[in-house]
Amino acid sequence: MKRSLLHNLRILLGAALSAALLQPSEAAAHLVTTGMGPVYDGIGHLLLTPEDLVPALAMSLYAGMRGRAPGRRALFLFPLAWLLGGFAGLSASGTPTFPLPAISFLLLGALIAADLRMPDNIFTVLALAVGIMHGFFNGIALKAGPSGLGLLGIMAALFVLVAIVSAFVLSLKPPWARIAVRVAGSWVAAMGLLMIGWFFRGQG
Amino acid sequence: MRSILVGMIFLFNGFLLGTVSAHESQPGSLEMKQLAPDRYDIIWRAPIYYGRPHPAQLQLPEDWETIGQPTERRRADAIVFNRVITTGGKSIEGKIIRFPGLEATITDVFIRLKRLDGTMMSTVARPTKPWAELRGERPWYVTAGEYLGLGFHHILMGIDHLLFVLGLLLIVQGRMMLLKTITSFTVAHSITLAIATLGYAHAPLPPLNAAIALSILFLGPEVVRSRRGETSLTIRFPWLVAFAFGLLHGFGFASGLSTTGMPKAELPWALLWFNVGVELGQLVFVFLALALAWSFKTLEVRWPRWAQALPGYTVGSLGAYWTIQRTVILLGGLF
Repeated sequence: MKRSLLHNLRILLGAALSAALLQPSEAAAHLVTTGMGPVYDGIGHLLLTPEDLVPALAMSLYAGMRGRAPGRRALFLFPLAWLLGGFAGLSASGTPTFPLPAISFLLLGALIAADLRMPDNIFTVLALAVGIMHGFFNGIALKAGPSGLGLLGIMAALFVLVAIVSAFVLSLKPPWARIAVRVAGSWVAAMGLLMIGWFFRGQG
Repeated sequence: MRSILVGMIFLFNGFLLGTVSAHESQPGSLEMKQLAPDRYDIIWRAPIYYGRPHPAQLQLPEDWETIGQPTERRRADAIVFNRVITTGGKSIEGKIIRFPGLEATITDVFIRLKRLDGTMMSTVARPTKPWAELRGERPWYVTAGEYLGLGFHHILMGIDHLLFVLGLLLIVQGRMMLLKTITSFTVAHSITLAIATLGYAHAPLPPLNAAIALSILFLGPEVVRSRRGETSLTIRFPWLVAFAFGLLHGFGFASGLSTTGMPKAELPWALLWFNVGVELGQLVFVFLALALAWSFKTLEVRWPRWAQALPGYTVGSLGAYWTIQRTVILLGGLF
């Protein structure tokens, strides 16, 4: 009985998808018209926004430092959390005034600089929290532009970024290389401190 | 599981379907021809964008005056505005031409100035710099940089070209075969890019687009076959397929270059640097794909079987969608 219900649900899902896809769409087939514009906009947004790019790099560095399993976890959960946060941001009405991205700079930078080990569960929560928060801000920023497809582009770019950077850190063998990564982390933390300082100075 | 996989692929296609006309990267052009010492004929070709007139406007310097009645002609792919202006005896050197609205698009505008003494100047306005300064002859490396950027931009924005390269990467086994295949594709599309740009041959866009889509569709089943450990002519000799379809893709690249309306004198340089840009873009993409594969190996990512099949099905289903769509357009144009 349950199996039959599941089967029917699958057919319904397939039919709904087909119906959605068979809707007439305007066909403009210039060779360079790919329909991927908003996705590219999203990729560009991530790569050209240091407020997002630096914490994403920091998360990847930290995941790589922690090892294979955390690297894999960050690879799948971090972009997914970013996407979910982004969709939440698309429907949000206001912008948080507190500089939350600066906190992620400081936190991730400090974790890298200290090379701090943490239980797997806490690492997972960290990846989810940072992803959701930055995704949320991106969702607000992309609301008027490429919106959902832009978020998809960001997620794809994050997936590639996390994979390559964390694998690269993981593959580093010489002890000085790990120190270099920790130094990079300290710079990220310093940036976070500066950002928080600017925020409070602006408030005053 | 299979129904979920098929659903996911269709869902992914759905993301693309809804936005097929979302972005138009066909460039605009502004041609200025000096008729008399202080008089210029100005042709502003604004490409159709989202099926509507382009949001960018042409804004000439305030002290230029229009003589006579400006004209406007609507073509299938652009609106062409024509007017004659006088500069009131002043020099145009250092004047700024602006394109308000360009910053909200992904369109580049190629500007070409032809003077009475036969000298020419060309420059590009971009969404990140929606204006251009008129000045004397530029050093060759500035022009080269612009065409190199155009080629780089063209391949990275052309998901159909990238998908074909991805399909080849998924089929190829071994470093030597990868080198052979990528070189074959490069040689083939360079040949037709040169032939088409120099005007020795011309491929009409609608059938060309359909054929390029067909090349992607062709690779889909081959990728799946390769993953299953089966063999075929394409799997054994991917360089052959890369060469054959590369000839088609070269005509496609040529369409990206020919729409810039470059001056004849710039043609060899433009061709060379545009092609270098295309190759660089292709190398970046191949490098990223290989780096990603290496990362999965380093991180020891174990993909479920359905996920392993996903790239092949994605290449195939997108190729099928574009083939059908472009064939419909082709037939629509015939009848």
